[in-house]
Amino acid sequence: MSTLTAPVVRRHRRRTGTAWLHTVVGILLVAVMLFPVYWMVNASLAPAGNSLNTGWLPLDPDFSGYSRALADQGQNLLTSLIVAIGACLLSLVIAAPCAYALAQFRIRGTAVLLFVVLTSQMIPGIVIANALYTVYTPLGMINSIPGLILADASQGIPFAILIMRAYLETFPTTIVEAARIDGCGHLRAFWSVVLPVSRNSLITAGIFSFLFAWSDFLMALTLTTGETIRPVTLGLYTYIGTNDTDWSAVMSTAVLSSLPAVILMVIAQKYVAAGATGGAVK
Amino acid sequence: MQTESRMMTSTTTRPSLPRPSRRALGLTALAAPALMTLGGCGGRAGGGDGALRIVDYYNTPADDVAINGALEASASELGLAFTRERVPGDQLVAKVLQMGSSRTMPDLLMLDNPNVQQVAASGALAPLEQYGIGVEDFTPAVADLGMYEGTLYGVAPTVNTIALFYDVAALEDAGLTPPTTWEELREAAAALTTPERYGLAFSAIASYEGTWQFLPFMWSNGGDETELDGAGVLGASRLWWDLVRDGSASRSVVNWGQGDAMDQFKAGNAAMVVNGPWNIAGLREDTPDLTWDVVTIPVPEPGGTSVAPLGGEVWTIPVTGDEDRQADAAALLKGFLSPDNQLAMAAERSTIPGDAEAAAQFAAENPDLSTFVEQVSTARSRTAQLGPDWPRTAKAIYTANQRVLVDDTDPAEAFDEAARTVD
Amino acid sequence: MTAQRIDRRRSRRRDLMVRYAFVLPAALYMLAFFGYPIVKNLVMSFQAYDFSTFFNGRAPFVGFENYAATLSDPIFVRALTNTGLFTIGSIVGQFVLGLGLALYFRRRFPLSGLLRSLLLLPWLLPMIVSAAVWRWILEQDNGALNRFLEGIGLISDPIPWLNSSDTALVAVIIVNIWLGIPFNVVLLYSGLQAIPEEIYEAGALDGATGARSFAHLTLPLLRPVVSVVLLLGVIYTIKVLDLIIGLTGGGPANATQTLATRSYEMSFVEFDFGQGAALSNILIVIALAFSIVYLRANARAAKNG
Repeated sequence: MSTLTAPVVRRHRRRTGTAWLHTVVGILLVAVMLFPVYWMVNASLAPAGNSLNTGWLPLDPDFSGYSRALADQGQNLLTSLIVAIGACLLSLVIAAPCAYALAQFRIRGTAVLLFVVLTSQMIPGIVIANALYTVYTPLGMINSIPGLILADASQGIPFAILIMRAYLETFPTTIVEAARIDGCGHLRAFWSVVLPVSRNSLITAGIFSFLFAWSDFLMALTLTTGETIRPVTLGLYTYIGTNDTDWSAVMSTAVLSSLPAVILMVIAQKYVAAGATGGAVK
Repeated sequence: MQTESRMMTSTTTRPSLPRPSRRALGLTALAAPALMTLGGCGGRAGGGDGALRIVDYYNTPADDVAINGALEASASELGLAFTRERVPGDQLVAKVLQMGSSRTMPDLLMLDNPNVQQVAASGALAPLEQYGIGVEDFTPAVADLGMYEGTLYGVAPTVNTIALFYDVAALEDAGLTPPTTWEELREAAAALTTPERYGLAFSAIASYEGTWQFLPFMWSNGGDETELDGAGVLGASRLWWDLVRDGSASRSVVNWGQGDAMDQFKAGNAAMVVNGPWNIAGLREDTPDLTWDVVTIPVPEPGGTSVAPLGGEVWTIPVTGDEDRQADAAALLKGFLSPDNQLAMAAERSTIPGDAEAAAQFAAENPDLSTFVEQVSTARSRTAQLGPDWPRTAKAIYTANQRVLVDDTDPAEAFDEAARTVD
Repeated sequence: MTAQRIDRRRSRRRDLMVRYAFVLPAALYMLAFFGYPIVKNLVMSFQAYDFSTFFNGRAPFVGFENYAATLSDPIFVRALTNTGLFTIGSIVGQFVLGLGLALYFRRRFPLSGLLRSLLLLPWLLPMIVSAAVWRWILEQDNGALNRFLEGIGLISDPIPWLNSSDTALVAVIIVNIWLGIPFNVVLLYSGLQAIPEEIYEAGALDGATGARSFAHLTLPLLRPVVSVVLLLGVIYTIKVLDLIIGLTGGGPANATQTLATRSYEMSFVEFDFGQGAALSNILIVIALAFSIVYLRANARAAKNG
């Protein structure tokens, strides 16, 4: 017994030691990648909003930009959150079954649909926005949250279809077949077997659909008039005039608006676990 | 949704109904915008049934409050209601095109003055004479801003231009007086250049802003936008080229907008900057320790006239097909354009009133802006000669200047090419 | 006997309908939201569509004139080359760095989840903010990058990142790589996570570790994810507009003009929407051609590998 435990203990200690080393290197890598984000925070705290001569550290922070941003952008942040979450959910609901069908079912027309989905990604956003404007106006969907959700999903849905299809191509069909033999219909099999097992790809596609909608500017600009609903990407322009820009307020808004999104990302990424399909086949 | 629009039409009247007391109007006029922001209903792209739709690009609080105040003043007197859609500056033209093609043009539309000609040429705007709006009392160049083929389509209540800001302390330390000629400008810029600071900053960016900054040098030198390969234009381009090659102006001018150039001045990275009066409030607030002053843009020869471009926004009435609404909008516009409103807006936004008398009064009351009033009096409209073809020439000009300043191309060659592209 | 056959046929048909129902919502959405724009853009490229067309609806048919004008535009070749360089440079940088980071984060260590989420920040920021910050960082005279490089003695003269035609494209590629890494990291990481541990354990028993396990185990299993990441990466990169406009506006002196920025410029600066549409259609054709070639090559490799 004792001869077995000693090497186990030693291995465990070495593992935690190298784990923390990895964390340090990880932090360094991320720090280098996020230097511009740091610079953004630096600029948000710079007096006169002018980061041109600021030092490397914000030694003399000026929080007036933040007070302006907090006062003006609260409602806009909420709007952005609602629209982005809505677009994310809509994208997943529409794209997941389609991706599964394109990956696993053999039905006619899949090649055409895939081709259309791929082509849709190549179209400049402004073409879509302009077309939507002409359709939304007579339908009275300008300035409506559902309208924005539908429009913002236009980037998320094709993307989610393509991404999830790639993941679902290698989906172990044996478990689905097992479920079907047990009498499950396609829908039931999809809901209780495929979705849980392909959770990783759902979350990944969801994250990007959320981000596409969150950072959308064109649809928000085209499909709202700014009086009732204003996503924060548009609300940012309260500080960007034709001749001069209130940079500290702009940067402060950007920092503040990143926070809820980052929190959501952290929560979502926790669920991207290792080897999600491993074990299910057994 | 229904109740809100009913609320608005019952408390704010149309001209044909008996008018409630002025106080009630004032209160409801204040309440109306607040009520409108509460609604979340998708419905029309604008306010309730009676409210006039206004589209402009005054989205920053500094401008927004001033413009809204003037519109309110006029609207409350007439018993009209309005809603405003504020579009980010560089998206306005795209919005106008969208609204044009879907037949949802607003009742009152603000346009940046170089775009007025194009929009008027498309037949989208209503001539203003029929509504009793005229510009006889305006400074002639300002009156021209809204004209297309002899008909008045728009009026600019206030205008602006650019002049030369300089750091008073820096010039004093170097023992210099503010430059008035190109030679003095070149010398002063060189003398003021230190390892930490450039002598002069301006914007030569690859956009209409770059052309705008170039025009005072071009026009004061006798250059004409209809003759891009003329000596006047080449001389001005050569001045810019010399300034950059001397090292008195940073090579980054090719990437700076006017805002960036002013940021450089405020940060102490440039001793002089070519910029406009909208910066004055910011200079007072952000850099109170910086002593600055303004002179008109230097001229090639002593005694010459400094001719700068006229900037400012023009208010127009789109043809919506609804005669009553157009008449209402015109009435609102007329009140909005009153000299009193012009003075109020000009004071708040640091711009110059278009009405000649109001401008003179303004100069007397605001000595800080007297240089700009002077510069405006000799300023010229960019679309006076080329009308709807101006944007093309503007692009040719900034493209040529980019080639000169980035690739060290000779101005003669660059502008020769430019002249060929606009032919 | 026949009743059974009818039943089987009916249930087969129902089965088919259920399977079609999986794709129906998506197909309807695509038709509704993309059908009209695609067609309109195509039609516009054959018309003389200018400023006044928006108001008076007059857009005379001009056949292939717009395409001819676009192809003979003096800046076209430059824009085409720039697009190629920009795409290749960005994709190589984003993919290599993204894959590297994804592989690194596969290890389990404290805070890895938080760090991975923070890596998404470049994508979270509004483009106008990212562009402004990078312009300050790349500022020739006292931008952070030049200050740093001079501080550590790597360069003696400041590099004119965004002011010179030689370096502007490089600068824009660097920023686009920065922007694209989160996309690659998240997708590749997710793909890596889908590979069960048992495969590596089994491979280790056969002596495949480190680089060999990467080449023979990881890559082949990652292939579908890699192929979609590269494919979408190229398609998105060809389309990049806001970043370039925000950093350089297509300048200086057209040094960073790509087909996408040129298409935008045609439409919204020169107000020749017909040519702008033609150019964007040329872009779509290029992207389609690439996709077809790539997908075929990928399918062939998958069959052989």
